[in-house]
Amino acid sequence: MLDGLFMLGAGLAHFLTPLSLFNIAWATLLGIVIGALPGLTATMGVALLVTLTYKMAPDQAILCLMCVYSGAIYGGSRTAILLAIPGTPASAATTLDGHPLALQGKAGMAMGLATTSSALGTLIGIVALALIAPLLAEAALKFGTYEFFWLALFGVVISGQLTAIDDPLKGYIAGILGLLVAMIGMETLHAHQRFTFGIPSLGGGVDLIPAMVGAFGFAEILGVMKRHAQARIVSSGDRVVPKMADVMRYKWTTLRSGIIGTFVGIVPGVGEDVGAWASYAAAKRKSKERHLFGKGSQEGLIAAETGNSAVVPGAMIPTLTLALPGSAAAAVLIAAMFIHGIRPGPLLMTESPEVLYQVVAILFFSTLGILVFGLTLTKPLVSVLAVPRERLMAVVYVLCVVGSFAITQRMFDVYVMIAFGIIGFILREMKYPMAPLVLGIILGDLLDLNLRRGLMLTNGDPSPFFTRPISAVICLVIVFTILMSIPAVSKRVRALFTRGSSQATG
Amino acid sequence: MTDLPQSPQVPTPTDDDANPAMIKADLLAGLIFIVLGVAVFYGAWTMDRLEVRRIQPLTIPGLVPGMLSLALTVCGVVLTLRSLRQSMPGDWQFLGQAILSGATGRAMVVMALALVYTLGLVGTLPFWAATFLFVFAFIMVFECWLAEPRKPILPSLLWALGIAVVTSATVTLVFERVFLVRLP
Repeated sequence: MLDGLFMLGAGLAHFLTPLSLFNIAWATLLGIVIGALPGLTATMGVALLVTLTYKMAPDQAILCLMCVYSGAIYGGSRTAILLAIPGTPASAATTLDGHPLALQGKAGMAMGLATTSSALGTLIGIVALALIAPLLAEAALKFGTYEFFWLALFGVVISGQLTAIDDPLKGYIAGILGLLVAMIGMETLHAHQRFTFGIPSLGGGVDLIPAMVGAFGFAEILGVMKRHAQARIVSSGDRVVPKMADVMRYKWTTLRSGIIGTFVGIVPGVGEDVGAWASYAAAKRKSKERHLFGKGSQEGLIAAETGNSAVVPGAMIPTLTLALPGSAAAAVLIAAMFIHGIRPGPLLMTESPEVLYQVVAILFFSTLGILVFGLTLTKPLVSVLAVPRERLMAVVYVLCVVGSFAITQRMFDVYVMIAFGIIGFILREMKYPMAPLVLGIILGDLLDLNLRRGLMLTNGDPSPFFTRPISAVICLVIVFTILMSIPAVSKRVRALFTRGSSQATG
Repeated sequence: MTDLPQSPQVPTPTDDDANPAMIKADLLAGLIFIVLGVAVFYGAWTMDRLEVRRIQPLTIPGLVPGMLSLALTVCGVVLTLRSLRQSMPGDWQFLGQAILSGATGRAMVVMALALVYTLGLVGTLPFWAATFLFVFAFIMVFECWLAEPRKPILPSLLWALGIAVVTSATVTLVFERVFLVRLP
């Protein structure tokens, strides 16, 4: 424990240099702007910035990427409040109460509360990250090849289930497609080339960064330009810095939303949007002012903003300790870490434990940045919202092209970006979630390698996959998740429970 | 994690297609997934089993792709059957309307501009020239042709010129001078 505190202090001190502080400032501000601009999402921002931070030192590169990530998740609330359009999908729940508050002439208060809630949410998540990640990393050292196979499968299944609540089938299909994409190229057990069709560029497989830039950049541009609607900015000149009493009044909602958000973040591939909706729903259920929800409830706004911001540090827990991305943007972070020679996974805490505490420190500093920028730069951020998307999207597409080209400097990656953009756009239009697809691409190799390595170790006997305790538990959870997503099964199970409870009460 | 909200409707101003169109889109997608699944399964089945190298027969490279392709085929079948069960008269027309709507047209224009720029212009012209043309054309098309109401030409022309010059100059200079990337 004391050791951890010492390392945390070292992590904080590590970034107290002029260069780091400068990077924190511009990256957080850039993140807020990216989040505030409708059509630019956190994942897109992080994916595009990987190219720009390619030449930086590893710690500074991760610093910039993380600041953009957490800044963008916050920045989306601005758009949600003033325009009633979520700036990023993460702030969709914020529109429900944020915009009505703006219509009542309380835009300043809404922006202020969103800022403090985001900061508090991130802080709750940071505490969880600093406490849980070392424990999880230690537990993960006991994981063998069998457990990692199940974990990879669990990540794709749970992400498919939770990112497409209405229709888990589409989530599963997206996950399988992602896993199939990962099968392309050289496999790692026998070094055999699969599905390359004689194209040399496919030998190394499909790189994650161009695929992400396509699925979250180009596809998003197509989606944004498809729409006609122009929204009107509703702002008011009331005070932005919130009163301490307003913040403290809903302290339990804040704490609960922060914890829910953190746990949603820990679940692989389930991101900020689910975190916000889950905390919003929980707050509504527990609230004494339930009738105000959707009509400008401060509590609803606080729950949504705390919930989505707490996901960011929460998502870093599995990302750093298991190399299972906690959200789509965290998947990009994993790819970026590998580019910079940092290997997330169970060995991270033994090989380079300082990385975890540096990430904690980065999130802490970016929270300070969000507080400062969010409460002071009200007017400039409103003018950012007025940028016409016709002018913006052309420039963003150029960045998508350069961003996917620059890392390996081959046109093939640009073609990958275009292919993923167009296919991603079509899949999105048909309501397939993108997160399981991305998770599949990143976990495909882990799943494939560990399944076959396990079978090789046992000389073809699959029983350890089911008899080792941790394996058995994860396997049961997966089976349960899939069964519950079949409507007929879940209906019967629910009926069973309600009958049981009605008998108990009656 | 069981008490997640039933995804409340997000109040985003989208002109999304109606449900009947989605049912038929699901049918088409389901059939495509079945074909894809079977094709991948064939590829996995006929994949080299490396018998020469005497590897454990269960660790063949085609194992996981084969399992995944089966899973995809099953999901495709479920999607197709579900769509057939939900189908109602006239939903093909809804799908046709959704595909031929103005919104899809706008997306197609973006796609066409992007493809001409990336596959045609980049590589034949110097990068800065290609980028200038793309940004200029993109802004002009969407402000003066596909916008409702259309914007006056002169201000848009000036803005488009300005943004195109600044973008192509900045991107080219930053990547070639600062990051030392040889742009295509």
